[in-house]
Amino acid sequence: MRASFASSLGLVCFLTTATAALAADPGTEDPNNWPLYNRTANAWRYSPLDQVDKDNVSKLSVAWIAHGGDITMGIQQTPIVVDGVIYSITSGNRVAALDGKTGQQIWSYEPRLDPLTKKVLFAPYSRGVAVGHGMVFIGTVDGRGIALDQKTGKEKWQLQLTDFTNCHGCNFTSPPVVAGDILTFGSTAGELATQGKIYGVEAATGKKVWEFNTIKEDPKSWPGQSGRYGGGGAWMPGTYDAKTDTVFYGTGNPGKDFDASDRKGDNLYTDSVVALEAKTGKLKWHRQEIPHDVWDFDSPYEVLLFTKDGKDLIVHMNKSGYVFVLDKNNGNIDNIWPISDLKNFVKDIDPKTGELIGRVELTMDKETLICPSTFGARSWNSGAYNPKTGLWYNNVLDFCDYLKPVAQKEDPKDYGTGHTGSNDFGRLVMAPDGRKPGQLSANDPLTGKQKWSYAMEVPGFSCVLTTAGGLVFNGDPMGKLQAFDAETGKVLWSFNTGSGMRGGIVTYAVDGEQYILVPSGWGSYAALLMPALLPQLEKVPAASTLIAFKIPK
Amino acid sequence: MRFIAAWASVVLVFGFTLAKPRAEEMPDLRNPKMITAGHALFLEKQCAHCHGEDGRGGINLARRTLDAKGVFTSIAEGRERNGIRMPEWRGVLSDKEIWEATAYVLSISQSGNGTN
Repeated sequence: MRASFASSLGLVCFLTTATAALAADPGTEDPNNWPLYNRTANAWRYSPLDQVDKDNVSKLSVAWIAHGGDITMGIQQTPIVVDGVIYSITSGNRVAALDGKTGQQIWSYEPRLDPLTKKVLFAPYSRGVAVGHGMVFIGTVDGRGIALDQKTGKEKWQLQLTDFTNCHGCNFTSPPVVAGDILTFGSTAGELATQGKIYGVEAATGKKVWEFNTIKEDPKSWPGQSGRYGGGGAWMPGTYDAKTDTVFYGTGNPGKDFDASDRKGDNLYTDSVVALEAKTGKLKWHRQEIPHDVWDFDSPYEVLLFTKDGKDLIVHMNKSGYVFVLDKNNGNIDNIWPISDLKNFVKDIDPKTGELIGRVELTMDKETLICPSTFGARSWNSGAYNPKTGLWYNNVLDFCDYLKPVAQKEDPKDYGTGHTGSNDFGRLVMAPDGRKPGQLSANDPLTGKQKWSYAMEVPGFSCVLTTAGGLVFNGDPMGKLQAFDAETGKVLWSFNTGSGMRGGIVTYAVDGEQYILVPSGWGSYAALLMPALLPQLEKVPAASTLIAFKIPK
Repeated sequence: MRFIAAWASVVLVFGFTLAKPRAEEMPDLRNPKMITAGHALFLEKQCAHCHGEDGRGGINLARRTLDAKGVFTSIAEGRERNGIRMPEWRGVLSDKEIWEATAYVLSISQSGNGTN
């Protein structure tokens, strides 16, 4: 009887959510699904589902567990969920469709990868798929775009986009963006001796229609031959704004990362937000956030869209931890604020002009302490914005590193060495003031005002989820999955997933039941480098698991 | 056709032999010059990314007990274990260079004797 009442209540909540969606409040559309990398076109990672809420979250239980396949470098994906079917991608670009109620596999697809992927950086990372036009689209770690039939998993088309062999292994580690009839693919590049590109491809046919070079041909920006291996790229998914047919991408860092002696310009369009017309790839505007970067502060992170007082705005963080609030139509600066006060690479960034004030330059063959570290004040894992609280939740990384630029030899056959001008990615150290190395921080996205933070012994590297149930879900590298009160930051529930979390936690509903879906499997460069800072991470078991939770009936 | 098959077998066997380090080919891994050359490669090829400039980085080599053949094979062919991937370096480094890198790695590991 009680179960029946609970079910009815759940149905009421569910219908309420569906009704809310009809009102078309931003972030509430398509409530039962997780159709895009960041769920909605505004990239908020907010779900209007509210069946799981502050009162019942402590009752969350495992509904099913599915194994993703190869555990190499962990499970880094944000799954896509459409009409009760989960579209998953795991290490080495293995794609699978799973039943959202049971976790049972419907179909799977695994491309035969170029053997060179065993030599290159950033393989076999697989951070997501895109779904649209009745197809599932992936970018592969050997530089291809592939389209699969959404129902059967059969290959529809494939296209080699990057010159994988000759561009030092530039490839795709994240999914394309469905931008109307066009797919856009952003390549890896920042640490590679190449020029990173964004490609436009016809979704229906797989025909390439345009290519945007993130390295501008401009001798002022790139003196001499310095732009030839300028890096850049766009290695996380962009945001598509259908209203203006614009795809917004954040771009990667210039190369060589730490040795800037031959690139004495601003190095456009690295560390920038670029606004491209989706149909043509034409640059509408750009905003460079970190000119002449020498600290590896890429900007490929998610581009969030907001409207305030009738003004269309972009909110975008780069690795430096500075958040740029920009006019969506022209990239003009509205505000700039830092996610953490642990920063020394500049004294500040002027919130009106964007000028980097008091830059700390590096000296060849000498270590310089830089905060934040090359992992950034946040890694690539997206934050989440909840319109009910007005707060943006991010995993802040509060630690530093010593950077030492060195002269580096060019070796065209070397795919395993980063084009960084260094021997390492920085020697990690804790913050000089002894603070804990991470926090989950809740901030106003436009002003930066912090409402609450939750200090972490081991900093978070997973994408955050927030819901209309008044909750924030977050996972840490040790395997601790937690639900927080979105208003206060109080911990309401905790669960050990068995391995660290590096992907995106999502939620969806099938037949009136809300599920929380968690990829668990520690990996990426963080798994290689972070034990130097936090030795307990050396013992985290590897995995590639999807765990679905729900409230038992 | 038969000739092609035989030639393919020769290539396969020869290639396989080349791919495996042989004890009789193992140089003196305690030679200081070899260790110094190995350290230079260790830095140049950014082994220090994961292992640290002194081998005490995220994937700490200094605490491990290692053997020469195992280290050589890991560098040459790459290594995937417990979800961690190390790229393969054969084709980028010569066998001589891989032995030099092996000599340096052994010099900072628990074995430290170079030939175990």
